[in-house]
Amino acid sequence: MIAPDWFREDRLPHIYCTGCGNGTVINCTLAAVEEMDWKREETVFVSGIGCSSRAPGYILTDSLHTTHGRALAFATGVKMARPEFNVVVFTGDGDLAAIGGNHFIHACRRNVDMTVVCMNNHIYGMTGGQGSPTTPPGAISTTTPYGASEPAFDLAELAVAAGANYVARWTSYHVKELTKAVTTGMQTPGLAFIEVRTQCPTNYGRHNKLRTVPAMIEYIRSHAMLVEKYNRLTAEGKPIPEGTFTVGELVRRSRPAMGVRR
Amino acid sequence: MKLVIDESRCKGCNLCVLVCPYGIFQEGKELNSRGIVSPALNRPERCTNCRLQALYGRTLCGVCQMICPDQAITWVEERPFEPHRVEVEF
Repeated sequence: MIAPDWFREDRLPHIYCTGCGNGTVINCTLAAVEEMDWKREETVFVSGIGCSSRAPGYILTDSLHTTHGRALAFATGVKMARPEFNVVVFTGDGDLAAIGGNHFIHACRRNVDMTVVCMNNHIYGMTGGQGSPTTPPGAISTTTPYGASEPAFDLAELAVAAGANYVARWTSYHVKELTKAVTTGMQTPGLAFIEVRTQCPTNYGRHNKLRTVPAMIEYIRSHAMLVEKYNRLTAEGKPIPEGTFTVGELVRRSRPAMGVRR
Repeated sequence: MKLVIDESRCKGCNLCVLVCPYGIFQEGKELNSRGIVSPALNRPERCTNCRLQALYGRTLCGVCQMICPDQAITWVEERPFEPHRVEVEF
């Protein structure tokens, strides 16, 4: 078990389904927190509503479990009131992209000094598998029984466009890279956004011919492409395979940030 | 050091089977008391952490521990220590 003194061991085993990637993301984030050597009384975890947002309940610090989609608004408040606190936001794709989309772009625009870890499992897992804004085209969910017909939201590109200081995307298979990305995000002043593509075998994989956990994670791994390779292929004019997404560090810059200790 | 799967936490997702470079974890066959098929260990003394963690003073590979969504994989001190003959195949 990674970072044993950051886990609330009396709450384990957690409520997540078999093979849910959210547990992996908690491991990686806590490994990064341990690497940063943050004090427990100066660290706040904020989350909204959803599977991913249950994560702070398993972590032994102060945390805020807020209303649906408003995690970033509450986190901005925490950071403004107590700028010495280290704020980490756990959020899901339905929380961040669907109902909290406006809070997300404005938190990126203001560049509030915090780390946002988005566990993007392509679906509303907790409520029974409804299609979310990040459901890939053609995927079957409860609300898209004939395959999703809308294009999916690219959250990392949205954060780049809205002005976050550090944006990266990894999957729950790339644990070491993800830990490194979260650590870099925590070190960067300003908003650091790390999107993690996680597997949801229960509500996404079961309907999309990815019934077992290794099948689902193998699908995610094989559709990830390093951003350097993607840029090289586009520069050479070579075709990009259907359904791939870029992984890696998408942007690192130093725009003026809000809420940084001086 | 000894590799241990915490049976009270493991939910049997078999992600450790997918990631272990030595193939130490193998899909289990028998249900445990919680009705879950947790992975079986095949010669766990081959694991780098079991052999070298004390020497290096840090976790070496640890991908199984990192990817385990249920925080079930740990290394514990072996008492009394028993020397193993280890053949690492490449």
